[in-house]
Amino acid sequence: MSSKPGRVNPTVKAAIHQLVIIIFVVIWLIPIYAMVINGLKSNVAVYTTPVLIPPSSPTIEPFQAVWSSLSRPLLNSLILVLPVAFIATFLGSMAAYFFYMLSNSFSRVSSFVSNFLFSLISLATFIPYQATLIPLTKLIADMGLLNTYWGLAFAFFIFYMPTGALLMSIFITAIPPRIIEAARLDRGSDWRIFYKLVFPLSLPGFISTLIFNIIETWNNFFIPLMLTTTPNMRLIPVTVQSFTGGYATLYNETFAAAFIASMVPLGIFIFLGRYFIRGLIALGTGGKGV
Amino acid sequence: MVNVMAKGITKIYKSRRKEVVALDNVNIDIHSGESFGILGPSGAGKTTFMRIIAGLDIPTQGELYFNDELVATSNKLVVPPEDRNIGMVFQTWALYPNMTAYDNIAFPLRSLRMSKDEERKRINEVSEILGIAHVLNHYPRELSGGQQQRVALARALVKNPSILLLDEPFSNLDARIRDSARALVRRIQNELKITTITVSHDPADIFSIAERAGVIVHGKLVQVDKPSAIYSSPVTVEVARLIGDLVELNGRVEESNNKIYAVVDDFTFPINKVAANNVRLGIRLEDLKISDEVSLGDEWVFVGRARVKVSSYSSGLFRVTVVPPSNDNTEIVVMVDRPFDVGREVNLFVKSGKVLVFP
Repeated sequence: MSSKPGRVNPTVKAAIHQLVIIIFVVIWLIPIYAMVINGLKSNVAVYTTPVLIPPSSPTIEPFQAVWSSLSRPLLNSLILVLPVAFIATFLGSMAAYFFYMLSNSFSRVSSFVSNFLFSLISLATFIPYQATLIPLTKLIADMGLLNTYWGLAFAFFIFYMPTGALLMSIFITAIPPRIIEAARLDRGSDWRIFYKLVFPLSLPGFISTLIFNIIETWNNFFIPLMLTTTPNMRLIPVTVQSFTGGYATLYNETFAAAFIASMVPLGIFIFLGRYFIRGLIALGTGGKGV
Repeated sequence: MVNVMAKGITKIYKSRRKEVVALDNVNIDIHSGESFGILGPSGAGKTTFMRIIAGLDIPTQGELYFNDELVATSNKLVVPPEDRNIGMVFQTWALYPNMTAYDNIAFPLRSLRMSKDEERKRINEVSEILGIAHVLNHYPRELSGGQQQRVALARALVKNPSILLLDEPFSNLDARIRDSARALVRRIQNELKITTITVSHDPADIFSIAERAGVIVHGKLVQVDKPSAIYSSPVTVEVARLIGDLVELNGRVEESNNKIYAVVDDFTFPINKVAANNVRLGIRLEDLKISDEVSLGDEWVFVGRARVKVSSYSSGLFRVTVVPPSNDNTEIVVMVDRPFDVGREVNLFVKSGKVLVFP
């Protein structure tokens, strides 16, 4: 085999690429690996063996120990997060389409209003939500919704619907504008254009946004911490935090709890990850995403 | 049937730095049931004009009427596009990629809430005429360019539009099937008598489809006439160039024996009286001939001796470039039915009265 001088052999090049990818994957996997193996250690082993060394006699006791206190929060999170993220993303897409139509209208007033409102929303999503938590808690308390699913759902909507609108507006502008114009000439109503064309054509983007919203909502710690006080209403991140006690921490149980808590977002990402990638690709290829 | 009247339509695009005048005071009256062509180079404002008619854009100034009903005025949409009953075929066809051909064609009908039977009947009817009945279950990405174009045309026609707008409808088609597509559009237009406006930069589209045409150059409507009339007496050299191939020459005006000539190096072209001393000449390729004969009859006027510089071939004819013996840069293209050897001298003739003169 002859290789031109100054050029890397393709096999070597491919091997280097693979190596770099492997390094990144390993770095990404280390915390998960640590979480699993330390959750399988006994109380003594977790203190005596280094964190990356697997236990000599694995035990599922820590998992069993935390399950009883995790099952209810896990259920709460599932009941709340999946519908809330879906509705927030769907309403966000509708809002994104509304802003798209408004900013493309010929009325200067409505395109000004659209741009102004949209900038406001973008700005709001960039403000750390922790900063707004005290007034939010007051609002929810005044509405009598503390410690309820509705209160939590309302708070999540406030933060994740604009995120949905913001992300979806990027995907919607990638749809060829002529298609929407053709549909208008075909007398499509806004709702028909949305659910027959805009929504299906931005579906990869919708799924990306949905995954993003599920993971963000699932992992959100502060909002459920402030809005729930009774153990029955606790969500999973708050429960996991409660395992790090004030005087001592049972590391093996904490690791087990963290692993259980992260299984849902992890699973969603693994199963829907290709749609997430497809959504991102759609942005670069004119938005057809098929 | 709808007649379309534009009064002083002006469109100015403003960006931070500069203003672009896309349309400059366009006045036109397109008759009901007429097939009208709009010819112009890219960027001249043809598509903007069509989008204003469709209601997808609004004029900065001027008024647009459909049958004396005001539909758009300065910066204001009076009748929105969905209420104008317009069938439009976009340059890119803009088919709905997530729907089958059938659902694409059904989309405008479903907006009208008609019964499923009526819907199927009309779709079958239009797809029979357009020869796409066998591909109705396919998605646009599974169709050939010609089929996609016909689906787009079916979608535009199925709702019985009052106006049919075609934006460069054939530019994305194979040269091979373009003529049959043009014939199809012309036939349907003839049968249905829909007011049809075709925008194109290709004179072939205008000749094959339009009864009357307007030429837009730099946003201005410079000439409106029958295509053949625009071809034979264009108002400017740009218009002449747009609507057909043309030999362009710069000549000096001279008078001898009470006749006016334009002199180009060794050639003398007979022209009508003009005021200027120097003129720009335009001659259609079919109005020039080269021959070994000294005379070709009364119709043809001898221009001078010429030398063959290049001999080439183009669609069924030999394309010969000749030059005057004294100047190798004054090139004149002549289409002839047989090849000529390079370097030999021939006689150049022009059809009498066919030399176009521009100031």
